[in-house]
Amino acid sequence: MNAAAFRDVAGMALRNLGRHRVKTVITTAAVAISAALYIFMDGWILGMNLESRRNIAAYEMGAAKIQTKAYFDKKDELPMYENFPGWETLARDLAKAGFDSAPRFTFTGTLYSRAGTAPLVFNAVDPESERRLLRYVPYVESGRFPRDGALELAVGSLAAEKLRVGIPDRPTRSEYEAEILGAAATEEDRAFVRSLYGPPRTSKEPRKPFSVPDKAAPAFEEEKLALKEGVSGEERERLWRILAASGRMDVRISTVIDVKAAPDSIRKNKFEQELLPSLDAGAQALVRSAYEPDPATGDYYLASADDALTSRVLETMVAADYPGAIRHINQLIDAVVVGVVNSPNPKTNGSVGYIPLSALQDEAGLMLGGAVTEILIRKAGADDAEIPGSAESPAAIRAALDRVLAADGRTFPDNLDVRGWKDYSADYLAASAGDEVSTRVMILFLFVLSFIGISNTMLMAILERTKETGMLRALGMTDGQVLLAYTLEAGLIGAIGSAIGILLGCLINIPMVAYGIDYSAAAREMGGDFGYRIVALFRSAWNPPVIAATGVVATVLSAVAAIPPTLRALRMPVTESLRFE
Amino acid sequence: MTVVETSDLTKDYALNGITVNALRGVSLSFQAGEFAAVAGPSGSGKSTFLHLVGCLDVPTAGSIAVGGIDVAALSRKELALLRRRSIGFIFQAYNLIPVLTSLENVSLPLVLLGHGKAEAREMAERALAEVGLGDMTGRRPKEMSGGQQQRVAIARALVKKPALILADEPTANLDSKTGREVLEIMLGLNRSEGTTFIFSTHDRMVMDFARRLVELRDGRIESETLR
Repeated sequence: MNAAAFRDVAGMALRNLGRHRVKTVITTAAVAISAALYIFMDGWILGMNLESRRNIAAYEMGAAKIQTKAYFDKKDELPMYENFPGWETLARDLAKAGFDSAPRFTFTGTLYSRAGTAPLVFNAVDPESERRLLRYVPYVESGRFPRDGALELAVGSLAAEKLRVGIPDRPTRSEYEAEILGAAATEEDRAFVRSLYGPPRTSKEPRKPFSVPDKAAPAFEEEKLALKEGVSGEERERLWRILAASGRMDVRISTVIDVKAAPDSIRKNKFEQELLPSLDAGAQALVRSAYEPDPATGDYYLASADDALTSRVLETMVAADYPGAIRHINQLIDAVVVGVVNSPNPKTNGSVGYIPLSALQDEAGLMLGGAVTEILIRKAGADDAEIPGSAESPAAIRAALDRVLAADGRTFPDNLDVRGWKDYSADYLAASAGDEVSTRVMILFLFVLSFIGISNTMLMAILERTKETGMLRALGMTDGQVLLAYTLEAGLIGAIGSAIGILLGCLINIPMVAYGIDYSAAAREMGGDFGYRIVALFRSAWNPPVIAATGVVATVLSAVAAIPPTLRALRMPVTESLRFE
Repeated sequence: MTVVETSDLTKDYALNGITVNALRGVSLSFQAGEFAAVAGPSGSGKSTFLHLVGCLDVPTAGSIAVGGIDVAALSRKELALLRRRSIGFIFQAYNLIPVLTSLENVSLPLVLLGHGKAEAREMAERALAEVGLGDMTGRRPKEMSGGQQQRVAIARALVKKPALILADEPTANLDSKTGREVLEIMLGLNRSEGTTFIFSTHDRMVMDFARRLVELRDGRIESETLR
């Protein structure tokens, strides 16, 4: 068909839309709503994902970690016994290769405060490296970050609330009287404390745009007070000192130090029924060569004085996951909470404690002797807004590190491995993938509904115009031209609908990108952690390829909807079409 | 020159399981410039004959040649192209496209033939002027009377100067005065342009206008009159 004929057919299709105005409007609206919703949801999901990825890198772990291979295999159990020494050397090598690094020793335990207990994951960190690599350190909302060498602890804000340490923002009247005002030793301090707290500012507080009502707030509860707005840093510091002096910040860490050690004795049944069956023939022989049965009890005793043999036996037992190869030592560590962390990544603010690595080296700590469980890695001078890319992939890091090591004639330790952030973010990736799928399915349904709407509109339109179709064919329009005319008509519904939808979706997206939705109340209800690494603010992002694709897909789908009824009309003989009433 | 030639044309329909013999061996030929009517009572097969000649339907047996081309050998697309180039249709119910103006309705066949927009417009304006609607180019069908619509349909049929115009009961929906006007226009065009017209009709007035009258009954030629 020539251009003029195409233009005329297109013009006719456009005018035909006006013949079934109500149906056209309804169908167009359905397409528009589907397209707008799709753009909105997609932007939202993308926004949460980009923010989450940025926040994982910036606040949680950098771009990658070095751990022992054995640790990675059991990483969900946080196996502190799978540690490795010599992080300082690796850190220097990483720096030469252009990467920042931060060592960590991660362990679990229970934290006891005067008012409560909470199970916590403790990150023993090097404060200086930590501050350089990760961004949560400045988000100490009150107090400060622990100092190197001191038995000091910073805890996540959720843990602080549970343990009732730190400065309470909204204490109940009785808590205020007993724990805050009661902490002040002098009249001057009491006056100071009184000046900081006042009635809560709930009633006339203007709602933020796009915020949801705080459903978590019960209707009746004990009267609350609130820390006044505009309390200065100095005032907070003084309040912290007053509260700390009362012992509010004193805590005790109760943990179990797990160390790998070949057991001195193994009961007969454990040795024969648990240990030996888990080993292959060679390993069994090795273990038997180090242990001898006691003739009286039948239990087995470590009889070898050969350290090399003992360590090989131990390795064999650990490799077979024999629980007797891990020795548990209970340990209590007294420490003081010096800060509360509340960063934009909920992972840093939950049941987490941060303690200087250097304070845990000897018997008073964890007897680490320089060992760490992981080294966090980020490119030196990486932009916080940037999601780790290929330059920070485990392979790239490993290659850069290997070059530095090779220059000194050294090699990367065989028992260690570099793994990327994705390997450690299964919860986020699962939440993200799940949302992605459910949203896409939901939107697919919407599109199917619009598609049915368009199909119906076109079916009726084409049926009503059977006679006209016959006449067009009598005039010499080929089947292809008739098909084109009707698909153009349906495609126009899709194009107009998706254009309106795109406009609508973008209009919704503008405030969503600029301000986001404040979900702080709902987030609190969920305990602040729901996979995504965002705190209480859902912010969308622009996704131009998807916006464009939405328009194209909606238009093409609409056009396709006209094909079946048109083919049906074309199957009818022209004479029958002309007689059709 | 022979414009249409049919030989032993037969058409059977299956209607509710019963075979209807609409045409039973009609052999006719029409020369260029004829103004002929195919007449007969309803069910005589006159519309079927017109549809077969217009390549809108295929015969059960027999052959049709339009402009010397045996249409039996043509594909669907080739038939469409033959209709587009060589045949104009005028229907009882006018069959104009309601969303197009009279000018656009008339230029549609030209546009399909590949004429440029300006050229098509000019030709369509001339055709509308020839049927006396030079001042109604911007009107839509529903803004015109039946007679005016049928005149638009005539202009649409003749604007591409086809070898053959087939008119299926063109006056059936019109009053006798308007019907006569329409017929006079067609006769005038037949004389001035030499266009071949074949009507189907059961209207006595149309038969009187025709130069050649073929009467069908039960699918067979009953009589043929030349005037």
